[in-house]
Amino acid sequence: MSKSVLYTSSPLLASKTPVWRSKFIVASIALGFAGLAGRAAYVQVFGNDFFQRQGEVRFARTLELPANRGRILDRNGLILASSVVAQSIWGIPEDVERDEAKLKELARLLSMPLQELNKKIEDEDKTFVWLKRQVDEPVAKQIAALGIKGIYQRREYKRKYPEGEAAAHVVGFTNVENIGQEGVELSFDKDLAGHAGSRRVIKDRLGRVVEDVGEQVPPVDGRDLQLSIDSKVQFFAYQKLRDAVMENKAKAGSVVVLDSVTGEVLALANYPSYAPEQRQHLTGEQLRNRALTDMFEPGSTMKPITVAMALEAGRITPQTTIDTSPGRFSLGGFTISDTHNYGALTVEGVIQKSSNVGALKIAQKMSPREMWDTYTALGYGQKPQIQFPGAVTGRLRPWKNWRPVEQATMAYGYGLSASLFQMAHSYTSFAHDGRIIPTTMLKSSEPAVGARVFSAQNAAAVRKMLQMAAGPGGTGQKAQTVGYSVGGKSGTAHKQVGKGYASNKYRAWFTGMAPIDSPRIIVAVMIDEPSAGQYFGGAVAAPVFSEVVQQTLRMMAVQPDMEVKPQIVVQAVEESF
Amino acid sequence: MITRLSLVLLLAVVASALYLVRMQYESRHLFVELDRASAEARRLVTENERLQVEKRAQATPLRVEKLARDQLKMRTATPAITQYVTYQSPAANEVSR
Repeated sequence: MSKSVLYTSSPLLASKTPVWRSKFIVASIALGFAGLAGRAAYVQVFGNDFFQRQGEVRFARTLELPANRGRILDRNGLILASSVVAQSIWGIPEDVERDEAKLKELARLLSMPLQELNKKIEDEDKTFVWLKRQVDEPVAKQIAALGIKGIYQRREYKRKYPEGEAAAHVVGFTNVENIGQEGVELSFDKDLAGHAGSRRVIKDRLGRVVEDVGEQVPPVDGRDLQLSIDSKVQFFAYQKLRDAVMENKAKAGSVVVLDSVTGEVLALANYPSYAPEQRQHLTGEQLRNRALTDMFEPGSTMKPITVAMALEAGRITPQTTIDTSPGRFSLGGFTISDTHNYGALTVEGVIQKSSNVGALKIAQKMSPREMWDTYTALGYGQKPQIQFPGAVTGRLRPWKNWRPVEQATMAYGYGLSASLFQMAHSYTSFAHDGRIIPTTMLKSSEPAVGARVFSAQNAAAVRKMLQMAAGPGGTGQKAQTVGYSVGGKSGTAHKQVGKGYASNKYRAWFTGMAPIDSPRIIVAVMIDEPSAGQYFGGAVAAPVFSEVVQQTLRMMAVQPDMEVKPQIVVQAVEESF
Repeated sequence: MITRLSLVLLLAVVASALYLVRMQYESRHLFVELDRASAEARRLVTENERLQVEKRAQATPLRVEKLARDQLKMRTATPAITQYVTYQSPAANEVSR
């Protein structure tokens, strides 16, 4: 038997417990409570930042309030670009319900092959995948109605361009993040974008907003932008240009329409163009805004400028006779020739017949510096003052380096280069009574104020010459319209290829204005590589000019300044009893 | 006496506390409604925008011209078949008289 402990008679029971022990216990417990109270006070009163923050993280949310991108309107307030809500469809591959029929329907709604859709959702390691960005609202509703598990939608904005390809180069487009990439969308991106706002809110467990906390920053919507473009003129110009490019089997073309009173750009179109909403297979050819980015030698378009500066300097009068025979002129090893021997021509005749020899003989009465000053004043070799991305400066060498032969060729537009837009702009000096006016893409109602380059009298004299050039015996007869007097100068050039000129590639253009006595519009047309037999500016570009002028002036409600044989037939219907 | 007063005050405190809770609940409720209404307003604004763009897309010059030509058998006006009238204000008329 082992020894057992005798509890009842334990000697410990007999010992007297010291009082300090019970006091110690009580004191410890009291201390414990005091500690808890202190901690509670600290947590709730003094050091509550951390807990407050943690609490807020769990129920407070900062919501971003997106700003609406401003609309782009034409001069009459019609929409050229506007943002609409579009849902972006995304999914969590792991969660997507594998329902063959539903997925097939989804693929159809997203207009993508089922295979592609399956490929997107098969990678189960991913926790997020875009199925398609910016789906139109009605389609998004149908997708939501399918109710596939693991497929979600996110609200985004999408840019819509009702005018499509007709205004594509002017308006440009934005990328999927709504940032301007081209055209006005790019150059005025800051104004259009606005600023996103934010608000801090408390959400309940169902995700509903129950209270606003802290300060709210309201979003600032982007500004609506009213352009100077008239969508009807723009469309018509584009349509006529497209027809002409196709008819002449040309590579490309551009047209610019300027209001010669206010300096507004009424239309600016290029072909080939693109649909701004479908940019999958976009090529550089389509994207190029040729009217502003392609520079070429202005050729005969420069002759009226040569004449105007000589008139201004008092070296010639419109009736001064210039001997152009024998239709050839040799200078510094080069021979400059006309298509025919025109013999003795007046200055007016030089423009009408577009004589190279005549133009260079007039230029020889000028100094290089005088010529350079005038060209520069007219915007050649200067960056066009237009709010547009990618506008080229053109090329005009400093006058000090000009050789005599260069001065001579510049008189008829070779040895310097400019864009079609610059040419149209330089002609505002003739249309606006000798003043060159600034151009603008934005609507303005006030007449533009420009710097004087030529006197009003000389500008009128040149306009008369331009009218002759577009009239009987001139090079641009096909520019004529019904009811409106026109004036303008055609141009044709061999295209520059590398260092030389290609013998069988041409560029044809026509720059002019109407009505000639007090011009309202300036129209410039360029056709690149016409290859259906005809290639002269007067034959290829002038008809486009004619149609654009005719329609534009009609739309602007300008009264015809020429006699038109009326075809209005008033039929008197005899009354009978 | 003092105990009775305390009891009344206690009741008042409890009542006001309950009232506060109720008010808080109601205010949140109203806030949710307000939020829903303003979301609806936003939705309508964007819907309006979308419809305007659609309307515009239905009235592009290309479509208008096609319809005018094909359905209404219209043709482009030329100056030859246009009667131009100039507006003369009554004041100008009186002066000319």
